[in-house]
Amino acid sequence: MQGARLEGLPLFSNLSPEEQAEIEALLEPASFGAGEEIFEEGSPEKYLYVLTSGTVKVYKEIFPNQRQHLATIHAPTVVGELGLMNETKAAASVVAEEPVEALRISHEAFLEKLKSGSSTAHKVTYEIGRTLAERMAKTDESITKIVARLEDARSDRDFDVFRNKLMQEWGF
Amino acid sequence: MDGDPRNVGFFEFLSTEERAEFAEVSELVAFTPGETLIEEGSEPSSLFVLTSGRVEVSKRIPRHGERILAEIDAANEKTVVGERGLLDSRGASATVRAKGEVEAIKIPREKFRAMISAGSPAAYKLATRITRILARRLTRLDEKVVETIRELEYRGETDLDVFRDKLVTEWTV
Repeated sequence: MQGARLEGLPLFSNLSPEEQAEIEALLEPASFGAGEEIFEEGSPEKYLYVLTSGTVKVYKEIFPNQRQHLATIHAPTVVGELGLMNETKAAASVVAEEPVEALRISHEAFLEKLKSGSSTAHKVTYEIGRTLAERMAKTDESITKIVARLEDARSDRDFDVFRNKLMQEWGF
Repeated sequence: MDGDPRNVGFFEFLSTEERAEFAEVSELVAFTPGETLIEEGSEPSSLFVLTSGRVEVSKRIPRHGERILAEIDAANEKTVVGERGLLDSRGASATVRAKGEVEAIKIPREKFRAMISAGSPAAYKLATRITRILARRLTRLDEKVVETIRELEYRGETDLDVFRDKLVTEWTV
């Protein structure tokens, strides 16, 4: 069991066996029944979850009282890594679709390790960074498309203001 | 003029030894007005810490040419460009051009990659710094995307439904 728990997860694949053991020491088991919430939109995220089995659904309240389904994610995977790096509230809800087995790492314990200069923790954040870079590239593509479409549709001048606001946040 | 990473604010999170490591691989570069630091789409960018001058960030919008996204002044807080390229394997998502005379410290992508391969703690620390920057930006972008969707809905732009759906699907978690 030991050592195998992080196998197949890109987030930990560049770690040596010793470094994997260092991360393993931070892991606590967690399980969720079908329908149980792992993250609640707007609440603080305290853990990074390594899902070892099961499926979760991601929802966001885009319009008041209307939860929109954004994604379905299957184990093995990791959720909560953006919150770990950003120390922000959950931007979406993550709900177990079927029973979920997971291992969790408390943000506090991980950030403490990072602060103390642990090279293992830095290696993990490097992998998180690569994931985020990829996500950002996808978000960039989507925004490019929507901006182009808004340009096509510019039927009223208000659209300019709105488009500009979108572009300002963009940077790159 | 100071182009040594040992004396530049951005590198303050590194120890003296780690800064010296970056001093070894970094290059002091200068650009004349109109010159390109980073070219959209070509290849992943290197990281530039601007030490003087101003740059313009622009992006190609399909069917609508190039749009200016931002102007960055080395005198201000935000003086780093191209950081995503160090962690990414995709082409740069925008073009960065010198608005006037610009000086910068360049950390070439391939040098950074080599440091990572060699297990350099300094390189991993820089990666962590970049990851935090990306996380902040991604969170802001996601919020903006949601606002956009709400705005489209409010305006009843049914013509844009497909894009609204697309935005939702791509929304990051």
